[in-house]
Amino acid sequence: MTVQADYSDATQASGEAIIELQDVDKFFGHFQALKDINMKVGLQEVVVVIGPSGGGKSTLIRCINRLEKHDNGRIVVDGIDLSDDVRNIQEVRRETGMVFQSFNLFPHLTVLDNVTLAPRQVRNMAKKEAEALAMQMLTRVKIPEQARKYPGQLSGGQQQRVAIARALAMQPKVMLFDEPTSALDPEMIKEVLDVMVELARGGMTMIVVTHEMSFARAVANRVVFMAEGEIVEVGTPEHFFTDPQETRTKLFLSQIL
Amino acid sequence: MWRDLRVLRVVVQVLAVFVVGAMAYVLWFNLTNNLRAAGLATDFDFLTQPIGVDIPGSGLSPGAPIWRALLVGIKNTLALVVVGIPLVTVIGVVVGIARLSTNWLVARAAGLYVELLRNIPPLLIIFFVFNAVILRFPILQESINISDLLIINNRYLAVVGFTAQPNFGPFLLILAIALLISAGVWWWRTRRSERTGEPHHRVLWSLGVFGVVAIVAFVALGAPIGLSRPVLDGRALEGGYVGLASYFAVLLALVLYTASHVAEIVRGSILAVPKGQTEASNALALTSFQRLRHVVLPQAMRVAIPPVISQYLNFTKNTSLAIAIGYAEITRLTFQTIGNGQPAPQMIAILMGAYLVFSLIISLLVNVINRRLELVTR
Amino acid sequence: MTIETPVFEESVVEVEPARGPMDWVRKNLFNNWYNTVLTLAMAALFVWAALALARWLLGADFEIIRVNLRLFMIGRFPADQLWRPWVATFLIAILIGVVGGSLAATARDRAVEAGLPFTETTFRQVLSRFWPIIALVVVILAFTTTITPTLLTLLAAALGVGAYFLGRVLPRAVRRWTWGLALLLIVATYLALAGFGGLGWDDWGGLQLNLFLTVAGIMIAFPLGLLLALGRRSSLPVVRTISVTYIEFVRGVPLITLLLAGAFALGFLLPSDVRPGFVTRMLIAITLFEAAYIAEVVRGGLQAVPRGQVEAAQAVGLPTRTTMRLVVLPQALRATIPAMVGQFISLFKDTTLVSILGVTELLDATFIVNSQSDFLGQGLFVVTLAFAGLVFWVGSYTMSRESRRLEKRLGVGER
Repeated sequence: MTVQADYSDATQASGEAIIELQDVDKFFGHFQALKDINMKVGLQEVVVVIGPSGGGKSTLIRCINRLEKHDNGRIVVDGIDLSDDVRNIQEVRRETGMVFQSFNLFPHLTVLDNVTLAPRQVRNMAKKEAEALAMQMLTRVKIPEQARKYPGQLSGGQQQRVAIARALAMQPKVMLFDEPTSALDPEMIKEVLDVMVELARGGMTMIVVTHEMSFARAVANRVVFMAEGEIVEVGTPEHFFTDPQETRTKLFLSQIL
Repeated sequence: MWRDLRVLRVVVQVLAVFVVGAMAYVLWFNLTNNLRAAGLATDFDFLTQPIGVDIPGSGLSPGAPIWRALLVGIKNTLALVVVGIPLVTVIGVVVGIARLSTNWLVARAAGLYVELLRNIPPLLIIFFVFNAVILRFPILQESINISDLLIINNRYLAVVGFTAQPNFGPFLLILAIALLISAGVWWWRTRRSERTGEPHHRVLWSLGVFGVVAIVAFVALGAPIGLSRPVLDGRALEGGYVGLASYFAVLLALVLYTASHVAEIVRGSILAVPKGQTEASNALALTSFQRLRHVVLPQAMRVAIPPVISQYLNFTKNTSLAIAIGYAEITRLTFQTIGNGQPAPQMIAILMGAYLVFSLIISLLVNVINRRLELVTR
Repeated sequence: MTIETPVFEESVVEVEPARGPMDWVRKNLFNNWYNTVLTLAMAALFVWAALALARWLLGADFEIIRVNLRLFMIGRFPADQLWRPWVATFLIAILIGVVGGSLAATARDRAVEAGLPFTETTFRQVLSRFWPIIALVVVILAFTTTITPTLLTLLAAALGVGAYFLGRVLPRAVRRWTWGLALLLIVATYLALAGFGGLGWDDWGGLQLNLFLTVAGIMIAFPLGLLLALGRRSSLPVVRTISVTYIEFVRGVPLITLLLAGAFALGFLLPSDVRPGFVTRMLIAITLFEAAYIAEVVRGGLQAVPRGQVEAAQAVGLPTRTTMRLVVLPQALRATIPAMVGQFISLFKDTTLVSILGVTELLDATFIVNSQSDFLGQGLFVVTLAFAGLVFWVGSYTMSRESRRLEKRLGVGER
């Protein structure tokens, strides 16, 4: 895997780039959060994005499902060019699933209803079918017995796993993770990471923003280091942690490892 | 021993009872003495005496006993409350959501309405509506008459009413059955949607079925409902449904005032829903309407309901302001009876008691609703 | 809480940064069919309303206000004692100035200590904050017939501004006593009106009476409300029952019933030789009413103080009374300030109710002037009610805006 400082090739598990960002900029007022981002993510690839706070990692993945609007450049998701058209945006959002740092479960619905809401409303699934699918997903994240409970009754780790199940229930092509374990107590981080590892091994395309290096080492195909809005360095996990090239990368790694 | 906490507690409480009791006794003593000195009754027997004033729109003569007049007063208060509170809710919710619209003009218009009405005393609004709107209508003899279906003047508003014709009873029965049938249709469409996943359109179906049955029955039974047109008869209006101008003035004024407060509450409650909920809904590809219906509004409602119920209470209490323009609700009647020489303490006690009952009922409702809506946590 | 739109932006067609006003209009007002309909309907409504308002303003006869301005402002205060309300106005201007300046200086000091940036309020900002009041004063002055009121108002404004800067430069030690000074000025204001052969509040009227009832009502009700709130939280069942009964009773009835009681029933409860004046009765009723609401506001504030505070105080050995005084109450009362301002505004609007009982405050003045022989039956109610409405609206709106600013400020400048 060659190491380029400003863009990356897609790894060739299947040969196609499912997400492509070309010359993407993003401004918040005068502040430039993303600078000339070029990136391709291949099918079934697991990309881990690391970097200091404010470096643009969250902004990057939030642009992919249009929670933030990019200002310049092109973002293509599964062949759909992200534009201002509402139908485009909805299509992209159907094919991407997102897991948030603060879970964002719907507190007034049961766990089961949380997971079945979108399939029923967006994909017009029948109730029984949706509930069967939901139980499947909840089993996959290892908490099927919590189906009838409310989010407020669950621990942080359980809530995040429900959030993963909720995103999976839409059967997306790509899963986006925005610091999924940062709000969890240490003893619950492992249970969520285990679910994510299994997901990766099962062939899901994932982009994960995280500080958990253990996860990167276990399943990442590529690690992308972002700072000050640009992609600084890209490489395989081994390369990254044993032989980083850029100064900024070395500085950051020395602080977290 | 006197430093012991337990002893102190008892002593303080005994003292409190004593002080309050002494105060109450002194007041009671003064009360009865002064009443007697003024030649006024000290009990509630006076309630059987004639009211001595004319109560427009009630059908009671001045000779009717006071207690009957008070009942009319309560009915009039309820007439305001029962019609007003639903109106307040509808207008308040619509304006509250409108204020968050992406259409700039709509949002600004809603904002203007809220900021204008919220900051003006309700009594002033009542006077304004009464004087600037109601009294601008022509006098009785020159009423605005829209083909005998609607008559407006500065004292009454009359609309065409319904009368029972032959076959009215059977028609009502059929309507009741139609209601059951449409409830069944609702249930059927919901189940069908759950089974197949298609949109249920249950509102349209239920209303449609009800409408069809009602119309067919109406025609088949030979028009069992007749119209009663209001007619100007000398100095009064006969027929149809007649409402007092003062009633409408108070209703309009209080509804507009209270709705502006409710709109603010609704707006605040929607803004209080955490942004993460919106983002999660968007990430799941829900449309903005689905998001509103399934995620935002249910959560906003929980935050909004206690203060909104408080506004309902305020509405109920504010109906007492109708005293100012002569609408015969209980406060005004109390005022008039006192003016006629009846003992004030008893009358006012009755008045306060009536409002306390209203408040209690509404408060109980709050608690019940609150308990049902509480989010379930550990 | 600002009005920005986090919730409704998203799934509607995303708006690119507008490339000019026409573009903004197209994206915000006409982006789909129902928005277009709404915009046209609203625009039509606005235009019609603006035209109707303009037509009315230009055509209406404001003579009734011009002639009766004094009645509106101070009721039936005798003409030869006019200097009293003016002196009172000066004192209040100084009061507001000093308190404002002192608060600003404290805020600045705190910011400097915390290393946070502190921006000076510019004259422009003051203008944009208080334009309703300034506009109202201008309108009222426009109704005066001589130049004297205008000059005196300018003098009052100058005194206020001077007092503001005085308050700003006061050293910290002196600033602690600003509240004492405020109290002193309030007493002085009362004396200016009533002392030295003046008129007690039973003879006051107009807007002055509304303001007096509001301020006096809240001031006298506050200690009572505080006691009730503490009583409600007491562990002694008798005390708690008495407090709860009082609070729930008073909150369950409309103010007018208490005013009626004050007017007609109070006399029976007092010994026959005690005959309070009418305004006094109203004030008693208002005080008893407000005390219950203040009790609830204070209760909310007390609940907002985290339990950990009391526990920490106990852990260092502070006795209960001292904990209350130095730890709980300061935090609780600070938390109640927004709600207290809300109560103040409510009471200000509710003072209009005394007009029903014949007391000549601002709203009642509108009735009186419309019955004067010169103006009877000319349908001038709209004019007078609009004027009264304007006064109340300006007062209420300004106070609620300031309250929102205060809320934000208190959130930031916490210790």
